[in-house]
Amino acid sequence: MASKYLKSEQLPAFLESLAKNARVVAPFKRDGVTQYEPWQSGKDVELDVLLAKQSPKEYVFLQTETYLKFGYEMAPVPEGAEGEDAVPYETVKVDPQNEAPKQVIFGLRPCDVRGFVQMDQVFGGYGGFYFDPLYNARREATTLLAVTCREPRSTCFCTSVGGCPSSREGADVLFTQIEGGFFVEPITDKGEAIAEAAGAALTDPTDTQATEANEAKLASATKVDPAFDLEGVRDALHDNIADKRWADLAMRCVSCGTCTYVCPSCYCFSINDSIVETKGDRYRCWDNCFNPVYTEETSGHNPRAKKMNRFRNRFSHKFWYYPDKYDSLLCSGCGRCIANCPTRIDIREVIRVMGAPKEAPAASGAVAASAAAAAAVAAAADTTTEGKEA
Amino acid sequence: MSRQDHIREFAANALTEKRVDYFIGWKQGYNSSEMIPAFVTDPAEADQLVWNPLCHHNLVTFIKRNMPEPADAKVGLCVKGCDSRTLVALLQEGLVDKDRLYVVGVPCDGIVDRRKLEKMFSSEITEIEFPERGKVKVTTRAGETKELDQKDVELIGCAHCRYPNPLYSDNTAGPLEKEPDREETKPDWSALEQYESLSDDVKQALLEKIYATCIRCFACIHVCPVCVCWDKCVNRSRQPELVSQKVGPKENLLFQMVHMFHVAGRCPSCGACDRACPVEIPLGLLHAKMNKEIYDMFGFEPGVKLDEKPVFQVFDLKDQFGD
Ligand code: SF4
Ligand code: SF4
Ligand code: SF4
Ligand code: SF4
Repeated sequence: MASKYLKSEQLPAFLESLAKNARVVAPFKRDGVTQYEPWQSGKDVELDVLLAKQSPKEYVFLQTETYLKFGYEMAPVPEGAEGEDAVPYETVKVDPQNEAPKQVIFGLRPCDVRGFVQMDQVFGGYGGFYFDPLYNARREATTLLAVTCREPRSTCFCTSVGGCPSSREGADVLFTQIEGGFFVEPITDKGEAIAEAAGAALTDPTDTQATEANEAKLASATKVDPAFDLEGVRDALHDNIADKRWADLAMRCVSCGTCTYVCPSCYCFSINDSIVETKGDRYRCWDNCFNPVYTEETSGHNPRAKKMNRFRNRFSHKFWYYPDKYDSLLCSGCGRCIANCPTRIDIREVIRVMGAPKEAPAASGAVAASAAAAAAVAAAADTTTEGKEA
Repeated sequence: MSRQDHIREFAANALTEKRVDYFIGWKQGYNSSEMIPAFVTDPAEADQLVWNPLCHHNLVTFIKRNMPEPADAKVGLCVKGCDSRTLVALLQEGLVDKDRLYVVGVPCDGIVDRRKLEKMFSSEITEIEFPERGKVKVTTRAGETKELDQKDVELIGCAHCRYPNPLYSDNTAGPLEKEPDREETKPDWSALEQYESLSDDVKQALLEKIYATCIRCFACIHVCPVCVCWDKCVNRSRQPELVSQKVGPKENLLFQMVHMFHVAGRCPSCGACDRACPVEIPLGLLHAKMNKEIYDMFGFEPGVKLDEKPVFQVFDLKDQFGD
């Protein structure tokens, strides 16, 4: 599909045109904090701050989603009924809710997009598992307009997990900031439709602009520091499951769950009923594996009673259990969990230490040793029976 | 000998003498602009401990119920003035065992508000140095460098700190800081008073706006050193649903008010919740409100005297309940 050019001054008009048939969501700065919010005419999109505090996952995977309204009521007794048929009885009336308004998310980053791509597996029925109608309806109604990152943060590590600051994976359109505006690349049919609808706001780019965009992409990729070598990590996590260093690394974690709520790919939720008199809502809301009661059973037994068990689960889920089940990592390297953790638990460090084959020295900054070594260690290592549910 | 040297020496000695199983202090995080809690078990590693105005973490968090690993570990830790008050509050209630603690008091001259700094630069802060007492040198990823006066970028509570010197400790890291005249000066609640002067409608709108952004991550509650129920927290109860699990402005405010009431008389406004909140909700406002009411009604300041009972554990006919 042909690339386009959008002048910076034209951005508000472009968003305005999108807003005619969809809700537009974009990053905005409010009181110094950048977050994704519904766009309104006159609001300035914040594209200089990397990253918004949270990923925009909440617009597809709602933090609170009421998916059923229900009420108890007396069934009407049919006229002329006799005997048993005339005895009034109570019924439950259920009213499923599934709203999926059309929306366009502008200004999200390639790692944010990848969060959706990774989450899609779990909600999309991959491997014959559950297909979630609520998530998929909303995902279907959402168009993702990603923007190449210009100034990756020191905590970014997308390139270590197979991404890059200008990745097109999962995006419908990729915007790259160049002199005076954006180089615009529609990628999917949805993206193409957006470009067509924008009409005259988008012009044909010059060759110089195309070159400039390429240079910008290359430049930003070099600004992402390598964090670790992904090869062998999965096996090393498996082999290191009983390693004492998990407890050492978890010491300063307070088991809050902030890391999971700012993460673009964490997808856990719990289901609740809220009932007032005879009417109620059934809703789901985000939950996470750091919640001390996340795995608590009705008996009171908690298989992950200790902070360390919960800590180990998060990293193992992202780099071992999930990949085994869905053939995809559950981390896009955005680094939000590092920058927003109250004690700055650093996922890169955890993977460097626990994702390194057992005997290898795991000095901070070192990368995991070769896959061959990992395999050798795996063969010799003990196995444990830690549950791997997510 | 600097305070940092004292801390390192106390830590190394306590570990060598096996007085503690591990010692908690502060060390550098992923770059020099971030300090993080450090857990040291080997005396030879005590020299990674750091003391500077970025050491904001209240380490008392790590000795509250269910935190120490193993549960009966003997723990050494550093406390600043405000941190020590949360420790005293726990001790007053018998919620920690004094005999398993070794406490190094660190007299404090004020802590830098990193978020205040972040808002002064467009690029990410990657380096912070302290060339001399009272000066902060900030460098960004884009290479910009600025030198600032520490007093201009300190945490909200530091400017009127009443207890810069720890109120409970086994050893003190260096000379005491100058104490304010506590007879002359009352606690400072100017930020709260600004809020209190607003009309009801404005207050309502402001609270809704502030709490709308809460994501219920529980960082505030888990870092709060005097918030000790965590796995049994009423805010987590789904069956019965005592506090709605729905995330919305009113529900979030209620959730925070539960925290506020449960730490009233125990929270000395150490600010740990404020600093942990990823979306920067000024949680201190609610806690300041309780502290002000308790001070005005009972003349009580939480976590000050070891032998004092927490205000809500005493019944005194002479208590004055306002006019
Ligand atoms: S890693 Fe950090 S953000 Fe995550 S639960 Fe632990 S303390 Fe909270
Ligand atoms: S685990 Fe951390 S770095 Fe990876 S995607 Fe989630 S928040 Fe980003
Ligand atoms: S189990 Fe934990 S790490 Fe995995 S998706 Fe759920 S919250 Fe995220
Ligand atoms: S730390 Fe902030 S966002 Fe998290 S639960 Fe507390 S108030 Fe809400």
